[in-house]
Amino acid sequence: MTEWRNGRLEGVRVTEGGDGPLSTVIGQSVLFAKLQDLLAWGRKNSLWPLNFGLSCCFVEMATSFTSVYDVARFGAEVARGSPRQADVLVVSGTVFLKVAPVIKQLYEQMLEPRWVISMGSCSNSGGMFDAYSVVQGVDKFIPVDVYMPGCPPPPHAFMECLLLLQSMVGSERRPLSVHFGPQDVQRPIMPSMRDAKRAERMGQREYPSIDVLPRTDLLSPHFAGQPDGRPKGKL
Amino acid sequence: MTPRASTFSDASIGEQTGLVSELVAHCGSDGALIAVQSTKDGIPTVWIKRQHLRDVLRYVKSELPRPFPMLFDLSATDERLRRNHDGLPIGTFTVFYHLFSFDRNQSLRIKVALDGESLSLPSSIDLWPNADWYEREIFDMFGIRFEGHPFLRRLLMPSWWEGYPLRKDHPSRATEVGLFQLPPDKLVMAQDALQFKPEEWGLPRTYHDRDSDFDYMFINLGPAHTGTHGVLRLVAQLAGEEIVNIVPDIGFHHRSQEKIAERQTWHTFIPYTDRIDYLQGVLNEMPYCLAVERLAGITVPPRAQVIRVMMSEFYRIASHLVWYGTFAADVGALSPVFYMFNDRERILSIVEAVCGGRMHPNWFRIGGVARDLPIGWDQLVRQFIDWFPERLDDYERLVMDNPILKQRTVGIGVLSLEDAIAWGATGPMLRACGLPWDLRKVRPYSGYEQFDFEVPTASNGDCYDRAVVHMLELRQSLRIIRQCLDSMPSGPYTSLHPLATPPLKQHTMQDIETLINHFVGVSWGPVLPPGEAEVSTESSKGQTSYYLTSDGSQFSYRTRIRTPSFAHIQMVPLMAKGELLSDLLAVLGSVDYVLSDVDR
Repeated sequence: MTEWRNGRLEGVRVTEGGDGPLSTVIGQSVLFAKLQDLLAWGRKNSLWPLNFGLSCCFVEMATSFTSVYDVARFGAEVARGSPRQADVLVVSGTVFLKVAPVIKQLYEQMLEPRWVISMGSCSNSGGMFDAYSVVQGVDKFIPVDVYMPGCPPPPHAFMECLLLLQSMVGSERRPLSVHFGPQDVQRPIMPSMRDAKRAERMGQREYPSIDVLPRTDLLSPHFAGQPDGRPKGKL
Repeated sequence: MTPRASTFSDASIGEQTGLVSELVAHCGSDGALIAVQSTKDGIPTVWIKRQHLRDVLRYVKSELPRPFPMLFDLSATDERLRRNHDGLPIGTFTVFYHLFSFDRNQSLRIKVALDGESLSLPSSIDLWPNADWYEREIFDMFGIRFEGHPFLRRLLMPSWWEGYPLRKDHPSRATEVGLFQLPPDKLVMAQDALQFKPEEWGLPRTYHDRDSDFDYMFINLGPAHTGTHGVLRLVAQLAGEEIVNIVPDIGFHHRSQEKIAERQTWHTFIPYTDRIDYLQGVLNEMPYCLAVERLAGITVPPRAQVIRVMMSEFYRIASHLVWYGTFAADVGALSPVFYMFNDRERILSIVEAVCGGRMHPNWFRIGGVARDLPIGWDQLVRQFIDWFPERLDDYERLVMDNPILKQRTVGIGVLSLEDAIAWGATGPMLRACGLPWDLRKVRPYSGYEQFDFEVPTASNGDCYDRAVVHMLELRQSLRIIRQCLDSMPSGPYTSLHPLATPPLKQHTMQDIETLINHFVGVSWGPVLPPGEAEVSTESSKGQTSYYLTSDGSQFSYRTRIRTPSFAHIQMVPLMAKGELLSDLLAVLGSVDYVLSDVDR
């Protein structure tokens, strides 16, 4: 039994090639799904960000493209230089008064469907820069789909927000044609992460001491297992 | 190892009086020199009459024995709310010139008082070409005009902006002026204002000659361009593929840090300094904290000094690695950046273990650092410094020996030493031209004189040589970190001076005096005595300096932040003229800059 769950097609086993009776072969290599669902699945797993950065947050965003974090795992590594080829505008940094018209124009040059991630405190609300030259939040002039807290948010926060956006995009349903069917976009109501995580956060009673060093080997395999500090292999 | 207090050598004081007496001998008789100001930083500071400014500047630039060939900084102060005049001839505005002499290893500050009636000064663009942007910045921020400046228009703020932000009567906060809106007509107006019109910059659209007759092409890069590393805009005038001229447009990253400094307490401005150059973390905090400590008269204990040096060098490596990777990517080598970001991640994990933050550590405090090093820090550091040299060997083969990279960078964007000094280049840019000038060596601060390291240089001043200097500096930083590791002094990590903020908790519960001191320092902020102090340090990209003016309150009266990227981006047209358009990205890549460091 196949079904869509959390934006994924589950219960399907697709094997390469196929042998045996015709019915088995067809069962193994033919997939039945609604076209709308299939398109949503495709959109979700190929969110191409616009290669546009503003400040500190962009460095952390770029870090998530490199091999320790690697957003290629989520199909989002194809950073496009042209807004016409991009799906996601990540507003990564402080939105300055002088650059706001530029951001607006970039957003308008992007083709529908398009999404916006507001990365970092500055872009969310101006953050610590309540200053004459800074717009207090990018949502003053373009709509935002995901807000990412942090100053700057670390790369794993970027990846979590990307996954949140993916789950939203995967459950959106859009019209297939301008000629038939309902023309409106069905958007899911996304839960507030603040509410979803509150119980877990409030329930936390034990905190690690500041003097306990973080495990650096969790970051990357090639950091791990080197008690003598020697690299495992040469480049 | 016992580093001394972070003060300049006493020998420079004798030198100062010599310089001031030279100036008095030259211009004291005709009344040009009004006053000699004593400052906490020991930099000779003289007040000059407005009508004699040109003469004095020309004298110190060219006629004085061992002259001052570099205009290090130029900015202004709005003096209208000043309470402590200290007997100085202060008007409504003060313009200060910060000059530097390599022969003397000395700075000179020349101040001119202006009154409200005639806010104008003669331009000094013919003496120092880099005065161009500094004068435009003053016009933009204070509304002071410079007679004879060819393109006196706004630099950081958009052209449609009203008011002069660094004047004391200009609002500081965005929330003071109402909600930002971007209706269609404002969008059209703002986009129109960004249109490039060659005539406004004195650039012809066509070329006529006996033999040829063609149209120039104007090509716009940025502010949203993948090669400019941020929101920088360059408009290139091209004859075919050859760059005839470039007009940079900056200010897309202007965060009004200098204005914010006037409303934050001395202590709560530290996190803002992190974001001046967001790649180099504590290297920004170093000059700020040193300047505040100079004003307050705080001596930093040896352990805090060595911790500061160690973290600074880690950030220097991290910043250079980002530069190294993106430089290689700019000229077409896409893989190195992945290796270098991995190494940077390893540094950031150490930084996180020590400071708790990654890019913005907020780690230095007035009088020391935020807390002591965590248990086991030495293992982390040792692991890194044992592991990293081999990676550097690999990078040398991967990047520096790469024949394609060499073809794209050797002999490209050549900068002569004379130009570098005239345009205010510092740091790796200057050292790539052959001058071994490193403040850690020539004017040691924070105990750098105790460390054994070399100042790498190159000779040609082209893109490749700038890369060579960066690469060699990585090894020297590693050398310094190893010495920090081997001889970390014991003792307190912050000063016991009453103005050190925040004070150590165990010293606050002694009596009512210490309790009040703690309460005031933490809640209201420390009150610094009136005075001025400027400290320059060698940051990853060049010399960063913080020039603080205290009026005897818990806020800075004026904070001038001189950043190296500002000076270096101003030099891009100079380096790129005559090159091909494709070389522009090699030039930009080789100039180590960060937009937040340019616009502040």
